[in-house]
Amino acid sequence: MDTEKCTSCKAPLSEPGWTKFTCPKCGEPIYRCHRCRHQSVSYTCEKCGYQGP
Amino acid sequence: MNVTNDIEIELVESLVPVEDYLAAGVHIGTQQKSQDMKKFIYRVRADGLYILDIQQTDDRLKTAAAFLSKFEPAKILVVTSRQYGQYPAKKFADAIGGVAKVGRFIPGMLTNPDMEHYVEPEVIVVTDPIGDSQAINEAVQCGIPVVALCDTNNITKYIDLVIPTNNKGRKALSMIYFLLTREILKSRGVTTSLTPEDFEIEL
Repeated sequence: MDTEKCTSCKAPLSEPGWTKFTCPKCGEPIYRCHRCRHQSVSYTCEKCGYQGP
Repeated sequence: MNVTNDIEIELVESLVPVEDYLAAGVHIGTQQKSQDMKKFIYRVRADGLYILDIQQTDDRLKTAAAFLSKFEPAKILVVTSRQYGQYPAKKFADAIGGVAKVGRFIPGMLTNPDMEHYVEPEVIVVTDPIGDSQAINEAVQCGIPVVALCDTNNITKYIDLVIPTNNKGRKALSMIYFLLTREILKSRGVTTSLTPEDFEIEL
C-alpha cells in the first residue's frame, strides 16, 4: 500500500501532527510531516513551484 | 494622515495603493528579527525597527485569500487573543461566514469533544503565533493547517502559511483583515461595500 510522504523531506507520514492541504496557487496536495512543521522547513509545490510557509 | 512614499516603493498589481499600506503601518516591524522572518524583511531603520517587504505582504495576502476560499466558510476558525485583533477578526469571520474565537483560547476547544465550545475547523487563522500558541498546538494535534499573521519577531514553528505583517497595530490589523475579507468575497463573486474603517475598533 502506498503511504503518503512529506513534500519537504519525503519521509512517510507516520507520526501524528502531520497535515495535508492544497497548494494555494495550483491546488496540488501538499503534505507536511510533524518534524518539518516543527522546524519550519520550507516546502515547494511539485507542480507550480510555490514556496512556503 | 498624509503619508509620503519616501522610500519609493512600487507594487505590482497591489490590492490597495502602497500609500494605504504605509498609512496603516502594515510594513512596520519590531526591533527584533527572527531567522524565519528574515526573508520577509526589506530593511532596518536607523532607530532599529525592521521594515517588512510590502510586496511580499501583498502577494501573501492574495495567496492566503485564495487558499482560504477553497475551504467551506463555516470550517474556517479565526483566533486572536490580542486586544486590537479581536474586533477585526470578528468582523472578518462574520463577513465570510467563519467562526471567531477571540480572547482567551480555552484549552480543549479543538481537542476535547465534551467541551461546550468544541469546534471542528478545517483551517485556522491566527493573529499572533506567540499569543495564540495554544490554538496552534491544538491545530497541530488535529492535523489542520495554520495560517498566521507574523511580525518580524515571530518564529514560524507549525505555521503552514505566513502572512508577513505588523500584527500589533490597530490600523494594520484592520487593513489586513479587510483585505482578506474583500479577496475571499471576491473569489466567491460577491462585491462588498466594507472599508478598512469598518474593521477598526473605536478607541
